[in-house]
Amino acid sequence: MVKISDIKVGDVIKNEFDGITRELLRAYAKASGDTNPIHTNDEIAIRAGLKGIIAHGLFSFGFITKLFEDFLEHGKHGKLIETDVEMRGMVRCGDLLVTEAEVTKVEGKRVYLDITQTTFTNIDIKDKNGNIMKQFEAGERGYISDKDREQGLVKTKEISEGVLSYRERVATPGSAIIELYE
Amino acid sequence: MDDEQIKKSAEFLIANLAGKEVPGRVKFNVRYKTLVDFAKIYGITDSKYVGSEEEGIIACHAFANNFTIKALYKLLLGIKLVQNGEERPFVTNPGKLLHMGQKYNWDGCVELKQGDKLNITAKWGKVWLIEKNMMLLAEVHVEVKNQDGEMVVRPVVTAGVRPGGY
Repeated sequence: MVKISDIKVGDVIKNEFDGITRELLRAYAKASGDTNPIHTNDEIAIRAGLKGIIAHGLFSFGFITKLFEDFLEHGKHGKLIETDVEMRGMVRCGDLLVTEAEVTKVEGKRVYLDITQTTFTNIDIKDKNGNIMKQFEAGERGYISDKDREQGLVKTKEISEGVLSYRERVATPGSAIIELYE
Repeated sequence: MDDEQIKKSAEFLIANLAGKEVPGRVKFNVRYKTLVDFAKIYGITDSKYVGSEEEGIIACHAFANNFTIKALYKLLLGIKLVQNGEERPFVTNPGKLLHMGQKYNWDGCVELKQGDKLNITAKWGKVWLIEKNMMLLAEVHVEVKNQDGEMVVRPVVTAGVRPGGY
């Protein structure tokens, strides 16, 4: 049971999704009716200067509303009042999509939250001498720009297979309001 | 088109669109299968959204994306304006149109159910130019009501048009 008395400023709710595939984007195109081929056809996306298909702008938005639907147990504890997001960064196949909402204010039965949807894009794995052991789609197709590097969005971490390079970027910032029943 | 012409075109659109009604309306029938297919994209398994057709289901919140974007394409791309005595659309090159932001407000709204027949209308909000990159931005306030005239959702879409597209 989620109650307003249990919620405090700074609380964070979160979900993660790592299943963005070409097949899923084709299914989304069919279900949403947005059949622009830059979301489903690599050749056309490349001709449009995108280096490969990109997810529909509102595809990732669904994970924001799902975050609140799950938190509120599909209307048992409250309802979603408002979401307001800005589409800032492209989301692509293979990205890990992390959606977080942090409570910024509680007023009456209403909870105000800041939303941050971040993509984690794997680039490659190198051995200790800097040799590429494995390259991911972003590395192969050149999705990572010089601007990403200049802005410090490209990071590394040690994993069992070597050193993983990845980009961490905020794709969708925004806000939301939910209302609890108790 | 040079910078001066682009700026004049932006000024024309700002003066002629901001605060005005978008002509026309879009009707949208909510089908059971469409609701289920959409919810399944997000791995939603709650029977409220993907249960049987006989028992009836409602739309997950993300489904608002489905009809809002379709309706806006129909409404906005069909607009005809007269600039300097010549008819022109809102966007002269749809390839320059960008989706910049999306807001949904469900406050006081009823649930969207299978079988609903939606009536979608829109009004221009703020329209402005970012002179640094000559990007024209426009807010469109949408109202989505069901067959009984009850509000289902109030979307606000922020569209961007790159220079050469307006």
